[in-house]
Amino acid sequence: MKPIRVLIAMLGLDQHEVGALTVARVLRDAGMEVVYAGRFNLPPSIVKVAFEEDVDVIGLSCHSWEYLYYVDELLQLLREHDVEVPVVVGGSVVTASDARALLDKGISAAFGPTATPEDIIATVRRLAGAATGT
Amino acid sequence: MAERCTQSRIPLKPVYTPTDVAGFDYRVRLNDPGAYPYTRGTRAQPPARAGWIQRELSGEGDPARSNAQFKYLLAKGQTGLDVIGDAPTMGGLDPDHPFAVHAIGTQGVSLCCLQDYRELYRDLPLDRITLSHSLPAVFVVAGLYCVARERGFSPAAVRGSVIQAPYYCEDCSYAIHMPFKLRVRMAADAIAFCSTEMPKFHAFLEDTYFISESGLDSVEEMALGFVEIRGLVRELLQRGIAIDRFAPRIAILLNCRMDFFEEIAKIRATRRLFARMMRDEFGAQDPRSWAVNIAAHTSGLSLTAQQPVNNIVRGTIQALALACAGVQAIEVSTFDEAFRTPSPEAHLVGLRTQQVVHLESNATQVADPLGGSYYVETLTDDLERRIWEMVQSIEAQGDPAMLSDSGWFRSLFQTAMERHARALADGSSQRVGVNVHQMPDEEDVLLRAAAERKIEPCRERVAYIKAYRQQRDAGQVRERLDALDVCARDDGANVMPAIVAATEAGATMGEMAGVLRQAYGHPADPFGHA
Repeated sequence: MKPIRVLIAMLGLDQHEVGALTVARVLRDAGMEVVYAGRFNLPPSIVKVAFEEDVDVIGLSCHSWEYLYYVDELLQLLREHDVEVPVVVGGSVVTASDARALLDKGISAAFGPTATPEDIIATVRRLAGAATGT
Repeated sequence: MAERCTQSRIPLKPVYTPTDVAGFDYRVRLNDPGAYPYTRGTRAQPPARAGWIQRELSGEGDPARSNAQFKYLLAKGQTGLDVIGDAPTMGGLDPDHPFAVHAIGTQGVSLCCLQDYRELYRDLPLDRITLSHSLPAVFVVAGLYCVARERGFSPAAVRGSVIQAPYYCEDCSYAIHMPFKLRVRMAADAIAFCSTEMPKFHAFLEDTYFISESGLDSVEEMALGFVEIRGLVRELLQRGIAIDRFAPRIAILLNCRMDFFEEIAKIRATRRLFARMMRDEFGAQDPRSWAVNIAAHTSGLSLTAQQPVNNIVRGTIQALALACAGVQAIEVSTFDEAFRTPSPEAHLVGLRTQQVVHLESNATQVADPLGGSYYVETLTDDLERRIWEMVQSIEAQGDPAMLSDSGWFRSLFQTAMERHARALADGSSQRVGVNVHQMPDEEDVLLRAAAERKIEPCRERVAYIKAYRQQRDAGQVRERLDALDVCARDDGANVMPAIVAATEAGATMGEMAGVLRQAYGHPADPFGHA
């Protein structure tokens, strides 16, 4: 079976990379392939990489509030380019009310600071399964 | 924790006795506070008398809003100022850069031109208050220098500091998008400039705080700090600047985590290592060159998003550790740290924490109150040895430029980040509210509303800076940016006077950073949008 491919990226000038690296490791340890785009991405480049790398899930790691403004643009671009990849947002700054707002916008899952590695792995597997129809 | 050890994984015994310090020579290893090798502190007086600079991290929105924060804190009894830039400013980008727009003023002050510095420092008595800056050094030194002169203060009377972390900033969350050689040169230029023009200002504030917030332990933190201090000292000596000209103004801004005794021992070991290195290796003769000033931030990484009120307790323990260690300045990271730069409520709690420790704990009545403790002295010796061994091992790896470019430093930071995350995930590092004594979200409400309140990006800065550029003398700005370019391409020149001249003409930080990047063969805009 083809391993699940996940893009891990951070947005704008958010530089605090602890979460992104941690989640990347957690997913790799769970047998997934991680395309690590790291810091300094804007929505167009994320859509491009997601398409070119044929990922099953896009994971955005946030330690600043820039995601609040970039996710709308990202979801819009994904729709415009017919890239049907679920987007997951996670980070220490994501509060419970932020998570609800993200889900309303069309983000597939949102994780705050209390998320466990097991939650994240299970959610990514579920979303990847739904995306690839397996 | 299965094995008894410090946070830096130094093995511990259940108890320490005179046997652990057998053969201890007081005069050699400790000596009195205020005397070489300064293990017990750089001042003879206890902290209650000498005091320390009490400040909280500030900077939010535009410079005028940050100036209002300063005034609020000063009115509440703060004794110094501490300001950090927002993400674009820290990266040497102007607020109208396409990457900047959603990050303007949300994690620090947005600062990029002379008018900004005027507003940031408005009404402040620049000759009487110390201003600590976590900002790109060459630009903020130029801004402060210009404003001091405009307002009739002698720059020579200006006190304060600016952080330096040229070796590591690209790899530990404050990338300025410049090559190693340029970063080191800018640091050395700022230090050399201040050694003559602003001699009371600590332009050489080695910042091990932000490098260690990725999860480095105390040994790694100080070893990397010493490697960088030594590199910059050698760079300045090569320029023919005598050690005693700049060494008295070297200071270290370090991290204070939750391991109470280890952090105290680390600070004591650092002072001793520094004194010996300066006197015996670099040949400094002025005792002020041997005694390093230490400022500290309490660890933001030790604070949690869960049960934010617990962070006040953590800050208190850390502030008490720093008071016992005898430092020159403290900044307590606040209860909302996991979410944001401090709210006014959090600022007040952080400052009050310091004031209570200072005035009520009575721990500050005696200098180095833990001196002579079997445990603390053993741990101080152990940390000193481990830090020094790691310094030597890093220096043996080769040229720091190569270690930076090859990603060696970056891998060290990444390993630390992963180690930190793993220790929390597997419970080997216990954190109340995170992996022990957790609470359901609906119960975890104390201080949560204040902690989660967001700061809107200050987007009006985009139009502001565009208009600012329009009203300048364009010819003069071009001329001075060209002069900066010529200067940057001449290894023997100091870029500071050219940056001061360009700043005075109205050049922005982003423009000047672009000129510097290009002079070193890199694109002016690191993201290719210019």
